Amino acid sequence: MHFTELTKMGKFVITSELGPPKGFHIEKALHEAELVWPHVHAINVTDNQSSVMRLSGLAMCKVLKDKNIEPVFQVTCRDRNRLALQSDILSAALFGIDNLLLLTGDHTTLGDHKDAKPVFDLDSVSLAYMVKHLEEGKDLAGNALDGEPPKFCKGAVVSPCAEPLEPQLFKMEKKIKAGIQFFQTQAVYEADKFEKFMKRVKEFGVPVYVGIVVLKSVGMARFMNENVAGINVPDNIIEELKKDKEKTKSGQTGIEISARLIKELKPLCQGVHLMPLGWDDKVPEILKLSGIIAEKG
Amino acid sequence: MLITRVKKKDAILSLCKGKTLLIACFGCKEVHFEEKEYQALKEDLKTSNLNISGEIQLDYLCNDDYTNKRFELHKKEIDEAETIIIFSCGVGVQTFAGLIPGKTVLSGCDTYVLPGFSGFTPSSHDCEQCGECMLGFTVGICPVTACSKGLLNGQCGGAKKGKCEVSKNKDCGWERIYNRMTVLKKDDLTLKKMIRVRNYNK
Amino acid sequence: MQKIDYTKYKLKTKIEILEMLTGHKRVYILSCNKCFNEFTLDVEPETAELNKTLNEAGKTTIGFMALDFLCNKYLTEKALNNAKKDIEEADAVAVISCGVGVQTIAELLNIPVITMCDTVNQGGYHGISLNPEKCGACGECYLSVTGGICPVVDCSKGLINGACGGAKNGKCEVSKEKECAWENIFRRLAGQNRQNILIEQQPKLRNYNLNSVDFVETYVKSVQAKRNEGFYGGIYPEERKEFTSKMAVEKIAAPDLVYIPLQQHAGAVCEPLVKKGDKVKAGQKIGDSKALVSAFIHSSVSGEVISVESKKHPLLPFPVPTIIIKNDKKDEKDTSILPKGTIDTIKKEDILTVVKEAGIVGMGGAQFPTHIKLNSSKPVDTVLLNGCECEPLLNADQRLMVEQPEKIITGLRLLMKATGTTKGIIAVEDNKPEAFETLKKYIPEGSGVELLQVKTKYPEGAERMLIKRVLNREVPRGGLPLDVGVLVNNIGTAAAVYDAVYSGLPLIKRVITVAGTGVSKPGNYEIPIGMLISDIVKICGIQIPVNFELKMGGAIMGFPQDDLEVPVIKGTNGIIVVMKKDDLNEEPCIKCGRCVNVCPMELKPHKLVHYAKAENWDKSEKDGVLNCIECGCCEDICSSKSRMVEIFRKSKKMVRERKK
Repeated sequence: MHFTELTKMGKFVITSELGPPKGFHIEKALHEAELVWPHVHAINVTDNQSSVMRLSGLAMCKVLKDKNIEPVFQVTCRDRNRLALQSDILSAALFGIDNLLLLTGDHTTLGDHKDAKPVFDLDSVSLAYMVKHLEEGKDLAGNALDGEPPKFCKGAVVSPCAEPLEPQLFKMEKKIKAGIQFFQTQAVYEADKFEKFMKRVKEFGVPVYVGIVVLKSVGMARFMNENVAGINVPDNIIEELKKDKEKTKSGQTGIEISARLIKELKPLCQGVHLMPLGWDDKVPEILKLSGIIAEKG
Repeated sequence: MLITRVKKKDAILSLCKGKTLLIACFGCKEVHFEEKEYQALKEDLKTSNLNISGEIQLDYLCNDDYTNKRFELHKKEIDEAETIIIFSCGVGVQTFAGLIPGKTVLSGCDTYVLPGFSGFTPSSHDCEQCGECMLGFTVGICPVTACSKGLLNGQCGGAKKGKCEVSKNKDCGWERIYNRMTVLKKDDLTLKKMIRVRNYNK
Repeated sequence: MQKIDYTKYKLKTKIEILEMLTGHKRVYILSCNKCFNEFTLDVEPETAELNKTLNEAGKTTIGFMALDFLCNKYLTEKALNNAKKDIEEADAVAVISCGVGVQTIAELLNIPVITMCDTVNQGGYHGISLNPEKCGACGECYLSVTGGICPVVDCSKGLINGACGGAKNGKCEVSKEKECAWENIFRRLAGQNRQNILIEQQPKLRNYNLNSVDFVETYVKSVQAKRNEGFYGGIYPEERKEFTSKMAVEKIAAPDLVYIPLQQHAGAVCEPLVKKGDKVKAGQKIGDSKALVSAFIHSSVSGEVISVESKKHPLLPFPVPTIIIKNDKKDEKDTSILPKGTIDTIKKEDILTVVKEAGIVGMGGAQFPTHIKLNSSKPVDTVLLNGCECEPLLNADQRLMVEQPEKIITGLRLLMKATGTTKGIIAVEDNKPEAFETLKKYIPEGSGVELLQVKTKYPEGAERMLIKRVLNREVPRGGLPLDVGVLVNNIGTAAAVYDAVYSGLPLIKRVITVAGTGVSKPGNYEIPIGMLISDIVKICGIQIPVNFELKMGGAIMGFPQDDLEVPVIKGTNGIIVVMKKDDLNEEPCIKCGRCVNVCPMELKPHKLVHYAKAENWDKSEKDGVLNCIECGCCEDICSSKSRMVEIFRKSKKMVRERKK
């Protein structure tokens, strides 16, 4: 199932993110995925997220696919050169994985193997360009692929609240040119900024699925403001989290904030992408509170 | 350009055998040889019962003609030593080791690379000699070196407040390119239109 | 060994060039005089080629400029400022250089800067001789356990734990031209019977995060700051001052014979006022001159003139008339030696006369007559006292500052009074804290004398550098400190001025540091002018070891003395024994750029060498060889062992002779 089809059908696309385990026991991750699945159209599987080594995203995607859960295979350029990237993406096609999210990837120094060699043979744009080549039946070096070429729905990311925004838009355009068909965004907490962003990108005619990161605490909000690119949690939200310490412990305030944001942003875009960062069990409640349902089929 | 830092004692001591000769290269004076650290290590080696038979201070060990000549000059000391520790960049160590293949030559330093070419004061700009210069499109700021990931097609989204995700001391290269672009070449769409894949086989 | 050419860049194709210059009609071409060749060409061919391409495409080249080392931001910025008007007329600046040069220009200009070249890596490193050994600068050198053969660069895959299995007949799978590095490593270690080390070592992992952004940033900034600190260029030689820095000045008794040359100053040689057989007193004037620039000569002992004849001079390449006096050891003073007043009582005009009569010259080595400086018609606003003594080994000035601070301060005030200035500055390098602290205690309030501590760097003691550092004024090329309102004097000179005024003593003795290898009694000595070095050698027990030489002056700028039968003169601040320069052949210049980096006069020494070899005195002059202060920074750092100071002395002589 290609996302873009859903969007064409006028459906509001809902996705959530899942990180594979550090180890090969996938029961817990699978349980979380099964919990979330009834409420979403697809589940993104991250690729050594934050440069922390984990189980392969491709393997996790295959497991989900086997359980009839629709995966989005996230691919970064940090750990593989163009040979490995192409062969993994062809493998994804073999497993019937339809949706890809193509990213550059965090730098190795941010993760748990700081000494590792950062690859970055390609970047998000050239990666998309490479997939387009594969879809045209050629590899990046121009050699023909055997048989029918694969067909994917290719996504990428963008930071709507980044400052300055222009370099992001500039790259977004390049990504579209390289064949990107949808965008999932970095977490958004500022509706006004997002609105402005959507006005700017309307002309591109590509669906945008807004990113929501569930706030777990004041500390987390502050940390993101300080360290995470493209994210700014406004003061009023921080105040709200502060006031309700009791509830926040249970995650209630964060859930409410997320739901409210979704309601607010829904009219502006074509879908929502939840990043629960381990709080996968809260996803159903957030979606329920925000009043959106994943219309499938 | 290359700079060196003196190794820790433990990295050297276990490899030394018998009479040990130290050779330090004080060349490349545009950057600073870690002289104090070298002296400290020397003392440390002495107190660890390493049999230091002598010490020679030279410069531009990398120049094989000079090294050859000096090799003759210090032949006796070199012949007598069982181990020779060279305090220089990798080029110097290899030059020297190549002249006396039968002798244990250890490197006393680790070599690091700095922006710019040897012979000059280190530059704030770096050139990776990629062979497909795109500075003409990127208003004179190099994406290969100014971006931590060497991205050729725009910023990665990891920058915060204009700083790279790798260090708050590093400006995002692509933001710099973009900012300069808006001043100098606002209407130029070339960079936007191109998709570049690097050729590593140049 | 086969030398390789590190051709770092090549012109892009016409199509690429024109694509990048789309929309830019008027183009200014800036090119770098390549740094990667052996120095053979004056003009690099790419500029003409590019110009042709541009013209054929209907573009206008509105100007050219070729510079050395575009990557040298400081010098490039100066050059660009000079051509600013022309450059700003252009729509774009087309740069022929490596990537570093292009980026430097882009940083300095506010018009589009377009690269015309691709920079290519040929392996090896520019500026580190031209040999093919390579270093991956991995930050965790493995050479100790690989027999001095680098697996990171020599193995195509950069493997650090052994061969991959892809080699056939000793050749790498990547190319039959390339030897398998690991086979070589194994062979070499086996030859040393150390092959077991390969098995004993733990499996190794590369750390790609050693050369962190923060480390590089900090390091680069600190080196850049040092390079431009106070004044451009300069070096940081080993100071080696500790041998004599704490040793109080000791008097050495005058020897039996003194040899007093009639030229111990810049300017005309003096006429002798005495002849063989004449009796002289200590301090008696024995030589004078009516020439505009000259300085009187006095006897340093009492006794009898035994000869006036031409003798070898310690600094000049030709014999100089010298008065030889037999010391009667009575030390009878000349009747003219009487106090002339004090800082408060002496009249401004009288100071000049006293200084002239005392034969005082610059005692830092240049020996320019002090009264000429004092008598300049140019306005002076600051008298700068040079307490830098930046040459290694020397401590004479330092000891004077520590032991006779009042003399120096009063000497400075006398110089200020003589020039009618209210501001005096004593600049002391931060490697002489004792001198600084002592002087601080003695400076009278309201005297207008300031004390300044400056960061140590050679050649800070050169007046231009000192003025730039202390007052941030730039003495124009070919000009003098007086052109920027500054009078610079040496510490010893200030003390001599004090003596001339307060006791009437002319310049007949001075403090000299005797130090270096093979000196059994190093120290700071007060020595009568005219004493032979051979006498000092005896008294201080100097034995010059093989490969060492004795120099008069400092370790860097001092003059080597083969013949020790030459006397101490007014400008002698040191007698030192240092290692001879390596007896290594001069190799062709590889344009590494180090000399340009360190030349405090902002010259291009490598070019001046090139011109001198071609005996092109026009270009030598045009490129400013006459401005060379012979500080020796370029020679110290030269990776091709060029004897630059010697070459430039000759160039200067040739240029001057041609002018006549």
